[in-house]
Amino acid sequence: MPSLPAGPYEVFKYLCEQSKPVTIAELAGATNQDQAKVDPAIRGLVEQGWVELHEEEYEEFQLGPAGELFSDGVFPERRVAKALVDAGGSTDISALPEAAGMDQKIVGQSLRWLKQKGWANKEGRLVVATDLAKNLDDTLGADEQLVRTLAEVKRATGSELRERGVDLDAALDLLGQRGGFLKTKKRVRRTAQATTEGKAAWKAGIDSLREVNELTPDLLKNDEWKQVRFRPYNLELESYSVIPGKSHPFQRVLQQTRRVFLEMGFSEVTSPYVESAFWDFDALFQPQDHPAREMQDTFYVSSPAWCRLPSSDLVERVRRTHVDGGDTGSKGWGIPWKVQRAERAVLRTHTTASTIRALAQDSNPPRKVFCVGRVFRRETVDYKHLPVFHQVDGIIVDEHASFAALLGTLRRFYEKMGFDKFEFRPAFFPYTEPSVEVFVWHEKRKDWVEMGGAGVFRPEVTEPQGCRVPVLAWGLGMERLAMFRYDMSDIRQTVLSDVQWIRETPQCR
Amino acid sequence: MPVIGISVDLLEKGLIEKMDRDTLILHLQHLGCDVEGFAILRRFRCNRCGHIAEITETQEPPVLCGGCGLSFKDHPDQMAELDSTEVLRMELLAVRPDLFDPGGLARTLNAYLGHRVGLKEYDIEPPAESVTVDPSTQTDLCPRPAIAAAMVSGITLDDDFIKVVMKLQENLHWALGRDRKHASIGVYDLDTVTGPFEYTSVEPDALTFVPLGCNPEETDSAMTPAQILEKHPKGVAFAKLLDGFRRYPILRDSTGRILSMPPIINSEQTRVRQTTSGFFMDVTGTNQNIVNKALAVMVTSIKELQPDVAVQQVTVRYPDHEIDTPDLTPATMLLDPQATASLLGIDLDRDDVVRLLECMGHRTQVTEDDRIDVVIPAYRSDIIHPRDLMEDVAIAFGYHNIETSIVPTLTIGAPDPEQERAADVRQVMTGFGFLEVMTLALTSDQEAFIKMRLDEDPNAVILENPISAEQTMLRLSLLPGLLDTLAHNTNRELPQKLFEVGPTSHLDESAETGAREHLVVSAVLIDSKAGAADARSLCKQLLVELGRDPSFANASLGCYLDGRCGIVSVSGRPIGHLGEIHPEVLEHFGLSHPAAAFELDLSLFPR
Repeated sequence: MPSLPAGPYEVFKYLCEQSKPVTIAELAGATNQDQAKVDPAIRGLVEQGWVELHEEEYEEFQLGPAGELFSDGVFPERRVAKALVDAGGSTDISALPEAAGMDQKIVGQSLRWLKQKGWANKEGRLVVATDLAKNLDDTLGADEQLVRTLAEVKRATGSELRERGVDLDAALDLLGQRGGFLKTKKRVRRTAQATTEGKAAWKAGIDSLREVNELTPDLLKNDEWKQVRFRPYNLELESYSVIPGKSHPFQRVLQQTRRVFLEMGFSEVTSPYVESAFWDFDALFQPQDHPAREMQDTFYVSSPAWCRLPSSDLVERVRRTHVDGGDTGSKGWGIPWKVQRAERAVLRTHTTASTIRALAQDSNPPRKVFCVGRVFRRETVDYKHLPVFHQVDGIIVDEHASFAALLGTLRRFYEKMGFDKFEFRPAFFPYTEPSVEVFVWHEKRKDWVEMGGAGVFRPEVTEPQGCRVPVLAWGLGMERLAMFRYDMSDIRQTVLSDVQWIRETPQCR
Repeated sequence: MPVIGISVDLLEKGLIEKMDRDTLILHLQHLGCDVEGFAILRRFRCNRCGHIAEITETQEPPVLCGGCGLSFKDHPDQMAELDSTEVLRMELLAVRPDLFDPGGLARTLNAYLGHRVGLKEYDIEPPAESVTVDPSTQTDLCPRPAIAAAMVSGITLDDDFIKVVMKLQENLHWALGRDRKHASIGVYDLDTVTGPFEYTSVEPDALTFVPLGCNPEETDSAMTPAQILEKHPKGVAFAKLLDGFRRYPILRDSTGRILSMPPIINSEQTRVRQTTSGFFMDVTGTNQNIVNKALAVMVTSIKELQPDVAVQQVTVRYPDHEIDTPDLTPATMLLDPQATASLLGIDLDRDDVVRLLECMGHRTQVTEDDRIDVVIPAYRSDIIHPRDLMEDVAIAFGYHNIETSIVPTLTIGAPDPEQERAADVRQVMTGFGFLEVMTLALTSDQEAFIKMRLDEDPNAVILENPISAEQTMLRLSLLPGLLDTLAHNTNRELPQKLFEVGPTSHLDESAETGAREHLVVSAVLIDSKAGAADARSLCKQLLVELGRDPSFANASLGCYLDGRCGIVSVSGRPIGHLGEIHPEVLEHFGLSHPAAAFELDLSLFPR
C-alpha cells in the first residue's frame, strides 16, 4: 500500500473529502498545521499527480478611514432624513444640523446623498422629505450593509461579502463615488483540489506515516518503524572520514612476500641481527679482504664484540676453502684467513646469513627455506638509503635444482607480487655462480630497475656444510618492491611514518 | 661500483662485426655489463706529467692534475684541452678486469659473437732483463713481497692510447688492487731506464728523488720517501698503505735511478712522454697471484690495442727462486658437460658446451671419458672453480634464452611461529582501531633512556662504528619509536592510536652470537583524554585474544606517571608494562596531549 508521512497524509485526506478546490489557508486550518508545512506537502502531492493547484486573482476589501467612522452602517443621510421626517417633513437648511444633532459639515455633505437616494429635495432654503423618506424603516442600504459587514469582518473578498447578503454591485456603485470609505487590494488565491487519479488512489487506500530522522530502539520496538517514514538523506554529499586501524602498507608487502613463499612450499626461518662475521661473510666465501667487510660498509658491534663460532671442523673447512679451495675443487682466494676476523660481531648485512645457517643446520635435500627480515648496512639516511632495510632470502636444496629452476622460481615470485615484465642479467656475487640480477620494468621511469641478486651457491659455500646438491639462493630487496607498489620516491617513507599517509594509503592495490 | 668510459672509437676499431649502438648495448648486457649509455667527454692533458683528465660536458675543468697533483690554477699553461671523445659508460664489473678497456672488451665481444672463438694467444719474447728482489721486501720491515714486470716496445703513442693505459691502470688498482693495497702498477719510459733492476726497500730518509709531477729544475723538488708521504698530494693520499712499514719499497735501475716508490708514486725522470716508444712496467703487491693477474691484463689489453708491439718478459729473482713475468700460461680445468647441462637446467650436449666455452674465449679439448679439458686465458682471473666455467656457458647461451622451470620436488612449507604470532597481534590491534607503524631498529641512548626517563640498560647491543649520533645501538623497546612517530605527526588529527610489533635486541650470554631478538608489541594512544585505564583495557583484551589470562600489579617506571603505571604478568611471569606517559617524557618528545601506552614482550610468554 502506498504511504504518506502524517502531515501530507492529513492534507490529502481533507482534499479528497472536499468536492471543491480548497485554499491553503483552509487546508492549514482544517489539518491543524502551519501553512509552511502545508506548502511542501501540497508540492509533493502535486508531483505525485494526486493534487492540482489552482491560482486565481481576486480583490480583497477593507474599510478606509472614512468608512470606519460608520461601523454601525448608519450613514449620515439616513439620520438627516429621519430628523427631517420627525421635524414635520421640511425645515430650513440652517436648522437641519440642530434637528439632526449632527455636525454642520457632515449634514452639508449628506445633502447630495439625500437627493441621490430620493429621500429629500431642496426647495429654496427649505429641505423637504420625500414620501420614500417618510416610509424609511431600519433596513440598511447596500452601501451601508457593506460598511457594517467590513467593520465586522475587517477584510473580505467579494464573494464572501455576497454570501453575507451584501448587494456588492450596488454598494460599490454608491461607495465608489465616496472617497475614503473602502480599500481594495489585488490578491492571488491558491486552491488545491484532488485529481481524479488522486481520488482513486485515496479510494484504493493510503497509509499515514510519521517522518523521523533516526531509527531508534523505540521505533524497533513493536514494529513501530513500520508506521514512520525515514527522512531521506542525500548520500551524494560528502560525509565524515573514518580514521582506520590497519597494517602499515610496507608490512603488507612483507606479509604478502611471506605468504607467496609459504604458498610455494617454503619453510620460514629467522636468525639473529647480531651475527658473527663467520656466518655473514666467511661461510659465504666472501674473502676477508672484501671491501664490503670493511668498517666503511658494515656495522661492527662493540657489545657484544665477539661471537662463538660453530664446530672447529666446520671452521677449518671454511678456512681451507678460503685459502686454497680445500676439498671443493676451487683454487680459493689465495690469501690468509684469520679466525679472529670471523669471530667479530657485526649486524647482519643480508638475510643470506639466515639461509646459510639453515643450510648448515640441515643440508639434506629436499629443502626450501626463506627468511624475510631486517638487514643493516652502514649507509647515511637519504631518499635512496637507510641503514636498516628489509630483504627476502631463500634457498632451494634439491637434487634437481638448476639455474633454470632458479630463474623460474624468481619469475613465479615476481609474478605473484604483481610484476609482469622482468629480465635476468648476469651478475657477480662472491657466493653464487652462476649469478643473476633481477630487473623489473618501471613503467613510469621507462627503465629497468634492479630488484635483487640470485644464483646457485658456489661449491665453496655448500661443500664445507656437507651439502653435495645444488643450492639455489637469492636475496631480494623489499623496500624497492614497496616503493614500486605505493609509488614512493623516498625510501624514508617506510620508516619515518606519516600517520596521514598510512591512514590514506589503500590496503589493496 | 665506479662507472668507466670506454672509448667508442677504439672499441669499434677492435670489433670485427659492425653493429648499431642498441645492438652493442644489448650484447654487453647479455655479457653482464651494466651499460649506462653514451657520453661525450672533454679531455685535458697535464703537460707536466702527461696525465689526461676526462670530464663530462657539464663538469668544470680540473683544477688539480689527477696524476701529479699540479695546480692548474697556478700553472694554467700546463693544462691543454684535447679533442673531445665519445665514450660508452658502464659500471665496472670488478671481477672481470679483462673488460675494463676497449681492447679487452672487443676481444670478448669478438669471441662471444662467434667471430674469433677459442683461446687468444699472444707472442711473448723471453726475458733479457731482470728484477732482483731484495730480501728486505720479504720481511715485516717492508711487507710488500710480490713483484712482476714486463717490457713493451714498438708502441705508437698518442693521447688515446695513453688514456686507455692510464684508465686501465686505475681500474686495476681499484678492482684487483683494492685501491693499490694488493697491487699497484707502474709504467715507465723504457728509454729512460737501464736494466737490470732492483726491487728493494730503504729507510724513510735514506735517499731523495723527484716524484712525478715535480719540476727537477725547482729547488726542493727532490724529496725523501718520508717527505713524499707528508707533502706530495699522491703521497698524502696513499700514505696509509705504508702504515706499519719501517722501510719503504723502491724500484731502481742499474744506474741507481729511482723508477718508483710503490705503491705511492713514480719518479719524474722515468715518466712516459709523448716521445715514448716503449714501456717498462711493474706490478708490486702482497700476493704473486694478484700481481701476475694485473700484469697479464695490462699486457694483453695493450696487445689488443696495438697488436704489433713487442712484449718481453722480465725475470724476477727472489732470494730463493726466480720466475719470468708476465706469465700468460693459461690455466686448465676439467669440465663435465653433463654436470654443466644439469646444473644449468639447459638441454645441452657435449658439443654445445664446447661451442659455448669457445665463444667465451676458452680453448677446449674433449677427453677420452667425454669430459672437456678447458684452457683458460691468463687474464680470466675470476675463474677459480669449474663452476665458474658453467656460468660462462650460461652467459654464452644467454640468460634470456633459458627456458625457466621449477624444481619438481614437493615440499611442505611452514611459517615461523613467532612471525605468525606477530601477524596475530597485528590483526587484533588493527581490530582495536590501531594503526601500525614501522620504526628504525637503530636508536641511541639519548632516545632510549634519557628522553624516556629510564636508567641505561646494560643489555643494549652497541655499535662500534655508528654512522650518526642518532643510531648508536639496537633498540631495546618499541615505545620510544612510537613516541617519536607521534612527535612527527603532531599536525595530524587526534586521536592517534599507533602500535608496532617487531623485534627488540638484547645481550644474552646464552645466545651463540651474544645477543638475541625478542618479539615485542607496543601501543600508544594520544588524545585530549588518554589514561592508564585505556592502556590496561587494551592490553588486557589483547592478551585475552592471544589466549592468555593476564594479571596486573601497580608499579613504578620512569617513563610513566607515578601511580599510573602497572606491570603485566602472564602465569605469574612479568612480560610488560603499561601506564600514562610521564609529562616530562611528553615534553621531551614535544607532545602536548596526554598519552597512554603499553608494551609486552611476547617472547617471555611461558610455554
